Amino acid sequence: MWNISQVLNRAAPLSSLNVAFRGLSTTACLAKNKKSGVPKVTRFRTKPLTYEEAIPPSEMNVRKGWLSWNTSNLHGEKRIAETTFEDLFIRKFVFGTWHNSLASEVVIKRRHNMITLVFLVNMDRMLARQVYFLQGYTEELLTHWLKGPVKVELQTVNSREDVIFKKI
Amino acid sequence: MAALSRKRLTDIHKHLINGRTAAFARLFHSTRLNQQNEHSEQQEGEFRVFEIEGLKPVKTERFARRQKKKPPPPRFRSMATDQDWTDVWPTASTFKWSAVPFPVRQGFVENSSENEGVVPAKYANLELMKPPNFLHLTPAHVKKHCDALKKFCTAWPEGLETEEDCRHHFPVESVTSDYVFAAPSLRDDRARVASIKLNLSDLELDYHSRDKFIRLVGDRYNPDTDEVIFESDRCPLKSQNLEYVNFLLTAVYFESWKREGWEDQKELSDMESYFWDINASRKNMVSLLRTIKEADEKSPEADKGLGYLPSDVANEDAICQLEEVQQYKVAVEELFNEGENIETLNNYKAAVTKLLNLKSDAAV
Repeated sequence: MWNISQVLNRAAPLSSLNVAFRGLSTTACLAKNKKSGVPKVTRFRTKPLTYEEAIPPSEMNVRKGWLSWNTSNLHGEKRIAETTFEDLFIRKFVFGTWHNSLASEVVIKRRHNMITLVFLVNMDRMLARQVYFLQGYTEELLTHWLKGPVKVELQTVNSREDVIFKKI
Repeated sequence: MAALSRKRLTDIHKHLINGRTAAFARLFHSTRLNQQNEHSEQQEGEFRVFEIEGLKPVKTERFARRQKKKPPPPRFRSMATDQDWTDVWPTASTFKWSAVPFPVRQGFVENSSENEGVVPAKYANLELMKPPNFLHLTPAHVKKHCDALKKFCTAWPEGLETEEDCRHHFPVESVTSDYVFAAPSLRDDRARVASIKLNLSDLELDYHSRDKFIRLVGDRYNPDTDEVIFESDRCPLKSQNLEYVNFLLTAVYFESWKREGWEDQKELSDMESYFWDINASRKNMVSLLRTIKEADEKSPEADKGLGYLPSDVANEDAICQLEEVQQYKVAVEELFNEGENIETLNNYKAAVTKLLNLKSDAAV
């Protein structure tokens, strides 16, 4: 930290030049309170979280399991990029299709050419026949796009309260 | 009639003094009038009935909201204790909390703020639904599978009880791999690799062809296990590669039986190992024995001479066929081919002692 008065060895007049030499610290902030996948705590701890959301990514495979089960994740196997992109697409599609009634993340299991989607559906605002329709709709369209049978093995919950694990 | 009208007018007057009601009546004047018109058509009488809002409780007809069907109780509550589990869980499936009759919990709870300090139960537990389970592979399931598959099975052929029997009757072992993975396609280019494995001793070869075979196959032959492995991935299909390695084996076998003209030009330095018969050692040995024979004849001593030597030492091959010489030959070849160790050196010592008829005290 030095300023122009030290450089010029006399009292410098107050000017914009002087201010520019005040030596503000410009290092990037560490942002220790912002982490990927770790939700921020609210003031009165009112934000509900599911188990999946409550466990940070650092505890992956210790306290919670994977959301994508496939062989491309294994060492030396192929189709890594394709599988990852398809999983992303499936998640986006399911999120939009089951809008406002998805009570959990989508687990994507791949066995041979079969893709099994597992998620929880909140029956609060849904009728059984709507669920049946959307299930068939999801299976049919994804099967068409992904060139392999897609099976939806969903389970229902009565309200969103049932999946709340903690409040932060 | 007049009395009724008067009563109504007093009613109106009574309510008009309430300003709020008056304003309310004005606001909804038009609608009220319309309703009254419709009403009065059905009514008999001279005057219409003016109904003041809020005076009488109005009956509004409400459609009863359709009752939402309650979800049925979970299946495990109505399960018999002696049920057939294979009927409940016939195939591989995601964990269904309602169909699993045992209590199970999964998850990690750090403190009492999480899930009231209790490990999450099976209802709506995604952690239980994530991993593959083995509820479709219980002993009862396996027994059913075996019963179903039994009619497709045949008895194990006789004479192939042990590994050694199998190797003897089927000396060539072909190794191929299939790859199972999660993708829309079955194809995997790693599956094209094919190899065959056999023991060199199972092939009918003489010394020359065996030596030539080993030289031709190079590092495909493992001298420690006596195994030859041909592997190929040059063709796009597994069957093509398998045919190719079989062709390689056939070609190398018949090639190694051929003796080309240039093979006879093999010199001492080209030899794969030490052969006593073509080395200088044999000539030296013969000349040494001849010299000793000559000396023995000049000064015959009963116990010092080489008694095993024939009277005529002119025939070199006859000398080399003698037992003592053969033993020496084996000892020297071992010493060169296997290297120096206690065993070969002792053999060599014994052979030399016997060959030269050295006494034990002189030999030490």
